[in-house]
Formats: sequence, structure tokens, C-alpha cells
Amino acid sequence: MVSIYLLASSFIFCQECNLKIKGYIIDSNSNSVLKGAVIQLVGKKVNTISNDDGSFMLENLCLTDNKLKISHINCNQLIRKIDFSQSSNMIIIMDHKVEALDEVIIAESKIKSSSTAKIYSLSDIEKDRYSNSGLSGAISQISGATTLSTGGNISQPVIHGMFGSRVGIIYDGILLENQQWGQDHAPNVDINAFENIRLIKGAGALRYSGSSPGGVIILESSLPKKIDSLYGKTLINGVSNGLGGSLISSWTKSYENGKYLKAQGTFKISGDLNTPQYILSNTGSNEKNLSLSFGSNNDLKNWKVYFSYFNTEIGILKSSHIGNVGDLLIAIENKDPAVIDPFTYDINYPKQSNTHYTTSIDFSKYYDLNNKLSFKYSWQKNNRKEFDVRIGSVKNTAALNLNLDTHNLNANYEWKNSFARFSSGLFFQIQNNYSTPGTGVKRLIPDYLKTKFGSYVTGKIDNNNINFGFGLRYEYNSNDVHKYYRNTRWEAENYEEILGPYVVDEILSQKLIKKIFVFNTLSINTGVLFKLSENKDLNIQYNYIERAPDIAEMFSDGLHHALASFEYGNPFLKKEKTHKIIINLEKKSGVFKYNLNPFITYGKNYIIIVPSGFEQTIRGAFPVWEYSPYNVFFKGIDLDFSYNFNDYIKFKHNSSYVQGINYDNNEALVGIPPLILNNQLSFYFSNWKKVFVSLFSKNVFQQKLFPNNNTVTSVFENGERVDKIVDVSTPPNGYHDLGVNFSFGPYEMSSFKMNVSLVFDNVLNNKYRNYLNRLRFYSDEIGRNISLQIKIKH
Amino acid sequence: MFKNTCTNTLLVLLILFITSCEKSDTPIVENEMEVFTNATIVVTNLSDNSLTTYVFEVEAHGHDDHGSGGVAPSEGDDHADHTEIKLAANSEYEFAITFQNNTDASNPIDMTAEVIDEADDHHIFYEFTDSSLTYESTTGDTIDSNGNPLNLVTKWTTTTGAVIDVAAYLFHMPTSKVGTTRADFGGAVDVEIDFEAHIE
Repeated sequence: MVSIYLLASSFIFCQECNLKIKGYIIDSNSNSVLKGAVIQLVGKKVNTISNDDGSFMLENLCLTDNKLKISHINCNQLIRKIDFSQSSNMIIIMDHKVEALDEVIIAESKIKSSSTAKIYSLSDIEKDRYSNSGLSGAISQISGATTLSTGGNISQPVIHGMFGSRVGIIYDGILLENQQWGQDHAPNVDINAFENIRLIKGAGALRYSGSSPGGVIILESSLPKKIDSLYGKTLINGVSNGLGGSLISSWTKSYENGKYLKAQGTFKISGDLNTPQYILSNTGSNEKNLSLSFGSNNDLKNWKVYFSYFNTEIGILKSSHIGNVGDLLIAIENKDPAVIDPFTYDINYPKQSNTHYTTSIDFSKYYDLNNKLSFKYSWQKNNRKEFDVRIGSVKNTAALNLNLDTHNLNANYEWKNSFARFSSGLFFQIQNNYSTPGTGVKRLIPDYLKTKFGSYVTGKIDNNNINFGFGLRYEYNSNDVHKYYRNTRWEAENYEEILGPYVVDEILSQKLIKKIFVFNTLSINTGVLFKLSENKDLNIQYNYIERAPDIAEMFSDGLHHALASFEYGNPFLKKEKTHKIIINLEKKSGVFKYNLNPFITYGKNYIIIVPSGFEQTIRGAFPVWEYSPYNVFFKGIDLDFSYNFNDYIKFKHNSSYVQGINYDNNEALVGIPPLILNNQLSFYFSNWKKVFVSLFSKNVFQQKLFPNNNTVTSVFENGERVDKIVDVSTPPNGYHDLGVNFSFGPYEMSSFKMNVSLVFDNVLNNKYRNYLNRLRFYSDEIGRNISLQIKIKH
Repeated sequence: MFKNTCTNTLLVLLILFITSCEKSDTPIVENEMEVFTNATIVVTNLSDNSLTTYVFEVEAHGHDDHGSGGVAPSEGDDHADHTEIKLAANSEYEFAITFQNNTDASNPIDMTAEVIDEADDHHIFYEFTDSSLTYESTTGDTIDSNGNPLNLVTKWTTTTGAVIDVAAYLFHMPTSKVGTTRADFGGAVDVEIDFEAHIE
């Protein structure tokens, strides 16, 4: 074989060899030039190294020289064909090597290159630890982030004391829609479909979201390597609490020409969860997710088609379905749930069932090294059904059946030079929310059609030791709302005066209005990053965020069964304006690393839900809660540090504290996370069977600052009618959770690598309640949980 | 190259600045299916079979300028406006309670029938501030599959004269059908009406 080859090359040696090629090497992760890459002519000893600006040139080539081999210490080796007919520069994009040791964070990101804000990433170990429990738990490993939950199965992330639409969740470049549906809704996204999970505290990604002063969570999938390969990863989880488990598998087929195909699936099931003392009846859940993508990752043109399906069915604690405030009082006084049935996997009423589809198409094109144009179209389709404990003919009918269709179209243009990069674009969104009629319950969220469009520009200037970043986003937001108001509410609130002209129909003691609500919002983000020394950064960010009120905040209309209260929107809300300053002082490397992160936030017309009175029904008197605007102030601090005693023992700490004050009445804000301290001590026995042991400790203090939202109800006691306080305000006591994590591996098998981990959460089986659980009145939090995870990399 | 960019951008702009869309289809009104709007108690004096009908119809709003502290319901501390049911001392009465959903006045729904259909999941309980008044299930009442009466039809026995506060509860999915206070029953309260028994 070799001899034939040599013969062939000697034959054509006499041909002209005065051709040359020029080009650039680009790092696909950071989109920046890559210096120090070795470019070698395949089969010859001719080679060169790319310069500081990523450029290279090879001269005296022959027509027969048709392949280049490019290698770089951090990247996978590439083979490229040479096309001499192409007159312009060759652009060669290299992918970062996926590190074998999962501790290493794949740091660079598309987001990172366009912002000076501090970006927190989850390592593979951190991500996989929450593969069975989901996004909110995974994110809460980061300082400043925690969760707001409704029972053991529904939770959403809280960042710097904010949640809901104030926290943007961006998956694959798409802003997740459905937070408009209120607080009892978990984000419909499977973290296992993404390789990278990042958090920016504050509005650090104006390209995707202009209304998230809390923070943005970014889920990204990495581009497959440009080699002919088939690889995959499978996770098998078994969980003792709820006797549940999951099977998660993802596969990628990649080709040398840049084409690829990815498929990922998750199947998850859990029975009733349990606290240290009792079973939480009807808290089983199951989840089925699937995502598929295929595309082409060429040097100059990229495209991708993505499809995902997410389906979950979640049981809601049976005892939390109550009738009126008197029942709530009994539940609070009894402490333990009224109904404790034997363990089962069956999910009965009340329950939630959610389905989410996403389809998206991406296309991007480099015009040269410094100019890139990209388009993205996405369609999200959500359905949420809530089944209550009902009677009569509607027993098996969903009490809530909401549909949300969102189409997004984005065009983005990026350009850069040696010291600056900019990105700007246009976006258009159309969103249709409709309730499937026939539920026999008044709509919680009215039907509406939202049209949104706008533009943004973000930029970053690198100036040796000082980097400047800025962003600007304008949104036009129009909501065409059809809303039925009960005549009693209409009269009590005196809506006739302002909404009277918009009444289009009157039926069954209800008025139907049709009105377009328009908001124009402008959000600004500026930041300076001082590189104090080789490994020390000081970062100051200022965000000004205008947020249009959510539809739920303007028009919610319904009975909250677990809280025995009516929740009403306020149609006259104005846009919310938030100013936020975040400082980040970081030491990035060395034995002792730290990150100190204080922030302040001032919110004008900040929308919160507060008690506003009572409504008398034949079920009794119900407290009424209404969304209202206030002037609020937040201050807080997050601290992270880590200390490596040596190669084998490492210590990690993170803590977060935040205070929220309502200036208008000088009361604390409701639902602000208390002081949380997380400590982790890890022992690496890498020389001994690749074992790694971690001890976790989580200290959650009692929240001492809270508003008095208690109500009074009258009950019979010892032959008398007495008024009793229903204490829905006092936060539960603090708690201390201990956990242990044993990790083994990776062990090389014939065709795959295997890791095993065994995690004990709440190892002491402590009994406690969580202030940020909306069902905390009904039961303790879940007790000890042992999870076994087997990870196989093919 | 640049020309190409412009054309593409223009195209997007065109799509973007189509005027905002309007929602055309009017949503169908939801007829609230399981709302109790009325409860009716027919009181029969068993000595002369005379009937008195009391209708409890509730849809009222209390609103205050809540600043801080708890808010008291508009009732709760003031029972002066409660319905009074006049009863004679040392007598027997039949109380028959029924429930209605009159959300759609042209098509009222008899909720009592639904309660009877799901007899196992329902129970009615009367709570008194004074034990001199007692009641028990009587002829015409519905019995569930476990032999427990629902207390839709009850016989009340009065003794001495008194003014007694009464709360009537319709429980949905009670955890027990036996008890002496409301907390003994568990479940969710579907109906709670308050009245005063004036025994003279």
C-alpha cells in the first residue's frame, strides 16, 4: 500500500508546485481565532502554525496536495480537503475536545463572548446529579439560586429573590414560554437534552430576553465533532424515595463533512413520595421526553432542525385540596396530612398534566471571519391540564385546559474585529393563548393574542485590562384580550368606568370585554470588567429592565384550592421598571478561589400578589389576593469559595442572602428565600479505584422578615363561636440537610466507560418544612432519599 | 456580500412590520358546572306539619384597604345579619336541605342529585354552640354504601329556649363520617352556611 502511494507521488512530482493557500483557524466554542494550531499537509512534512490572529499560509503546494491535517492541543484533530479553486481564505473551525474528566467545565459559550457578566456553569457531575429531578434543583446548586415549589414535584427557579417571568429560561436559543401561567407551573424543559447549563444573575442576555431582572438560565447543546462517529451517553437512575427511577439516553451520529444527527430521550417514573413519618399520598409523577435534531456544521454555513416533546403528569398532594379557610386552619393546626393512603404509583385527582412541543429551524452563515448572519424560527406549543377533585358530570373533566402557541422569528447579525464584537437583531413573536372550553370552570387565564416585535444590540469591547459590555433591547408588546368578568366582580371593582366601552357581550351574569393592551419596553444592560491581575476580576453590571405585566398578573381569575383563596389580576397594571447593580469580585484560580457577589435592586411598579379583602360565597368567606404594583427594594450578597487542601481534599462553600422590602408599607416581601449556606467537602482517591466521596451540608435558616398576610376565620370551639387567626405568614423553622455522594469511575469497559454514583440526600431523615413551598401548610418535606446512578458513555 | 446581507435583513423587516394581529374568535362562555349558588332548608314542624322554607344565597364581596395585619371577613365578628330559624322549645322538626346551582338562571342544576349520586363522597354535618339542640338522620334521608346517613333529611329535637349558632357543612370526600366537631370529618367543605336557631 505504502509503496504504491510512493510510486504515485513520484509520478506527479514533475507537475507545477507553486500553489498556495491561506486561511484562519477559529475556535467553534468561543467564535474567536485560535493561535498555535498546527496545519500539516497530509503525507508530507510541510507544516505551519497559526499566528496570533489565527491566520496561516502554506506555499509551494502541488495540485495533488489535497488534504490538510489540523491539530491543536485543546481540540480534536481535523482533516480538511483543499480546494485550490476557492480564491478566498479557508476558514477552519475547530471544536474543543470534550474533557474526559468531567470535573472540568466546558467554559466558553456563545453567551460568554457577548457579555461581560459573570457566568456560572454546572459541571457534568453537578448536572447529572439532578438528571432525575430537573432544572430547578440543578440550578439551586449555584449561590443566589433556589427554588419555589408546589409540593415535592413542581418547582421553579428563584434567583436573587425573583421567579416566574423575571427569570428567563433560554433553551437552544429560545426563550421558554409558559411562565405566564402563574406560580404553580414548573418549566417544561428536560435538562438532559442539553450539555451545558449556565446561569447569569441579572439581565445578562438581552439578545434573548429583556424582562428578566432576576437572571437568565441558559441551556445549550454542544455541536458534534466533525468526525465520522457514533457516540452516546446513558444514565440509569434509581431513587428510594418514591421508588422511582429514570432512563435517559442520548446518541449522536456525526460525519466528517459536518452533518450530524442527535436523539435524546428521557423516561421517568415515581410513586408517592414520603416524609420521615408518612407517605405523601398522590404525589406520584411520570415524565416522557424526546428530542431530535439534525443539521450541518460546515465551515461557513450552519443549519439545524430541532424537535422536542415533553410530557409530564404530576400528582398533587391529596390533602392539599381543601374547601375553605376553615379547612386550611384545620390543616395548619393538625400539621400532618388528613389523608395518608398506602404507597402507590397511581396518580389520582388533583393532578397536573403538561405537554410541550418545540420545533425550530436555525440557519447561519459567515460572510467572512468577522461577519455572521443567522436566522431562527421556533414554534412552541404548550398544553396544561389541571384535574381537581370534582363532583357530578364534570368529575373527570379538566378544571383547567390551557393552550399556548408561540411562534418566534429572529434575525441576528454579528460582527467583530480584534478588540470588539457586536451583535444586533430583530425579533417577531406571535402568541395565541386559548382555553379549551367545556371545563365547567371560569377561565384562570383569558384567551389572548400577543404580538411582540423589537430589536436589540449588544456589544463587548476588550481593552487590555478593561472590558466594556452593553446591551439595549426594545420591545413592542400588544395583547388582544378576551376576558369574561363576573358581574359581581365588575361592580365591586367599578370596572364600568374604564372597561365599560370594551364590553362586547353579556351572558350568564358575566361581561365579555375585548381590549388591546399595549406596552413598549426598553431594557439596558451595561457592564465593566476590570482584570485586576492574572486571576482576579472585578465586574460591575448595571441593568435597567422594563417588563410588561404578565397576562396572569393582569387577568388571573380563579380559586386557588390549596390556599383557599381567590387570586385576581389587575387590568390596570403598568410596566414594571427595575434597576439592578451587581458587583462581582472573583479570584479564578489557585488553591483558594472565591467569588463575592453583592447586589441591589430597586423596582418601581413591581408587581406582587397581596391580600386585598374577602369574598363571601356559599362555601364560606374566602380571602382575596390581588396583583398590585409597589415600590420595592432588594439587597443581597452571594459568596462562593473553594479551598484545595491538596490534590485529594477539597472544600467548597456557597451562601446567599437576600432581603426584599416593600417601600410603600415598609413590610418585608413575601416568599423571599432565607439565608442559605452550602458546604461541600470532597475526597478524591483517584489512585485508588477512582473513588470520589463528597459530603454535603445545607443550612437553611428561618426567614425572620415576612409580611403579615394572616386571615381570620370564625369557628366553633367549646360551645362558642370564636375568631381564629389562620397563620399563613410565619415561616417554618430553619433546617440542616446532610448528604453524601460516592462516585466511582470512570471504568474502561470494552466499548464504553462507566461511572457509578450513590447519593444520600437528607441522610439523617430530618423532618422539616420549607418556606418556599406553597404546600408547606399540609406536610413536611420529603425524607431520606438514596439514589443510585449508573452512567455509561459509549 | 453586503448586498446579500441587506436583502436578507429587508426581508425580515418586511415580515416584522406586518401590523399587530387581532384575535377574531370569541371565546365561549364557561358555564360553571359544580358551583353551589344556593342552599335551601325546608323546616317542617312535626307537630302540625307546617312548612317554612329558608333559602341561603350567597355572593357578596368584602373589600378593604389592606395595609398590614390580618383582615377579618365581613361576617365572622358580626352575626346580626344571619338568618334566624325560629323553633319552639321541647319540639321536633324535620330539616331537609337541598343544594342548587343557579349560575345559569334559565337552566338551574340540582346539585342535591349529584350529592346523592356520589353518596359515599359526601356528608352533611350541623355544628351547634349549644348541646341542648340535637339532630339525627330520619326517614327520607340517603344512606351511603357503608350504611352511613348523609343527613340530607334530619329530625331536630329542641329542649330549652336559647339562641344557638348553627353552621351547616357539606363535606366532599370526608375522611370520616362520624364526629362531633368539624375537624373530625376532614375532607373539603363544599358548602358552609351559618344561621341562628331561636328557640322560644
